[in-house]
Amino acid sequence: MNQPYPLHWETLSASARGANKQRNQDWYTAEGCGTQADPLVLAVADGHGSARHARSDVGARRAVDLFAAHAREFAAFTNVDGLGGTRSLSWLMNYARDVMPRRLVSEWQRNVLGHWQRQYELDEGSSGAVTAPPTDGQKLLLYGATLIGAVLTPRLFAAWQLGDGELTVIEHDSRVEQPLAPAEAEIGDETESLCSHEAWRLVRMHWAPIVERDRMPRLIALSTDGLSKSFAADEGFVEFMTGLDTRCSEGGLESVQTVLPEWLAKAAQYSGDDTTMAAGRRPEQDTESAHAGRQTTERQ
Amino acid sequence: MSDIPGGPMANRPVHFIWLLDCSYSMQGEKIARLNYAIREAIPEMRSVAHDNPAAQLLLRTLTFSTTAQWHHKNPVPVDDFTWQDVQVDGMTNLGEALDLVSRELQTPPMPQRALKPVLALVSDGVPTDDWKAGLKAIDATPWGRKAVRVAIAIGEDADRNVLQEFLGNPELRPLDANSPKQLAAAIRWASTAAVKAASQPVAASSDTLSKPLPYAPPVLDDDDDDVW
Repeated sequence: MNQPYPLHWETLSASARGANKQRNQDWYTAEGCGTQADPLVLAVADGHGSARHARSDVGARRAVDLFAAHAREFAAFTNVDGLGGTRSLSWLMNYARDVMPRRLVSEWQRNVLGHWQRQYELDEGSSGAVTAPPTDGQKLLLYGATLIGAVLTPRLFAAWQLGDGELTVIEHDSRVEQPLAPAEAEIGDETESLCSHEAWRLVRMHWAPIVERDRMPRLIALSTDGLSKSFAADEGFVEFMTGLDTRCSEGGLESVQTVLPEWLAKAAQYSGDDTTMAAGRRPEQDTESAHAGRQTTERQ
Repeated sequence: MSDIPGGPMANRPVHFIWLLDCSYSMQGEKIARLNYAIREAIPEMRSVAHDNPAAQLLLRTLTFSTTAQWHHKNPVPVDDFTWQDVQVDGMTNLGEALDLVSRELQTPPMPQRALKPVLALVSDGVPTDDWKAGLKAIDATPWGRKAVRVAIAIGEDADRNVLQEFLGNPELRPLDANSPKQLAAAIRWASTAAVKAASQPVAASSDTLSKPLPYAPPVLDDDDDDVW
């Protein structure tokens, strides 16, 4: 691993309720600036929303909160100066691939089952009625949600995905990648879920150690499927991401943050689904200074 | 609102296909009641579609007797859909009908970007051709496997085992229509509830914990004087 660099990523995020939905069942976070002390943490979760998943807004929120906590812990592991000392890349990768999904899913399930129990006791107490409780599987179903999460430190970019939605990465050379897209595009609205049996086996992971600062991604965007499903043309979603990146370059991130809620609200009208995006972008200045630094080095 | 990058946005189609048994055994009141029930259900289908602006409901009709043929071959938006009565003909070649539908469920002509299609099968008899081959052809298509399926059994002679296999889900049952009143209710339910089911996101069905619950059919009263 190379030496860490001071980085200052900026974030933008918004969410819109789907057409005819009573409440938004997505949740998200976009926090940190990509330094070792304050890693960039992005997450979006999409509660399934139908009557069978009546508490999926709670499930989505718990998923994002748990991911953010685990992502910060994972980022701390990458710190060579931490209490644990240097951890090898292979150790980190094994942890990210095998341990973290299992911990995330089991904690999410324990968490929402706890929520169910508290609600059950409240409802039972208020109504006085005693009814047979459902199975754990039936309880989990109420909270079903998907999850996409990403963490970036000066040394490492890693992301995880369970279920549908998109992780979009615009690389330093403007290539647009979707590293966690399934080999074959899903059709219809069925998705894998945190409430699935042995859901940790369904988690897909993207692993990208950072070896050169100026080859870092320029934009990392996580979005729920309400956005990608709103475009009439297949290429519309990728064009949206490149257009968003271009507008960030031309008008600054704040100008895009101002209009993003309107964009997502329009997408939610067409997809019918709650629509959420959480993104991090490396400022132009950072890109340019890294580029200039490299040229200076090359001239010497 | 500033221009949104990515080009135009659009809602997604729900392809609804009626598969109607038009064999001789449907002659008389059964076919008349079926025509009436579907015609009467169209306003309710429009209402469901308007309540769900993210879905564009497109209708087609396939009849099967001695041959299977499209009554409406091209998908018709529900707002433009008008019902032309179907007529009885001969045998009950369900397999041929399923095979024709399977060709429409391939991508293309089905778009990748769509909500689950709905296949609504109505029959009063026993298939007279290789219906299993037709069902296999539907199950071999990705959209066929994901389709919301409903089956309506008209009268006592309908082969419920065949309809059960068509449904492909032991938790679902064919809807019995043993009287004109029950047929009207069943058609109304299939026209609306199935469309709603097609446009709801759910956890994947391959999963034992999150297996979708069946979209429950109504309990139909059997207090009609005129029983088939």
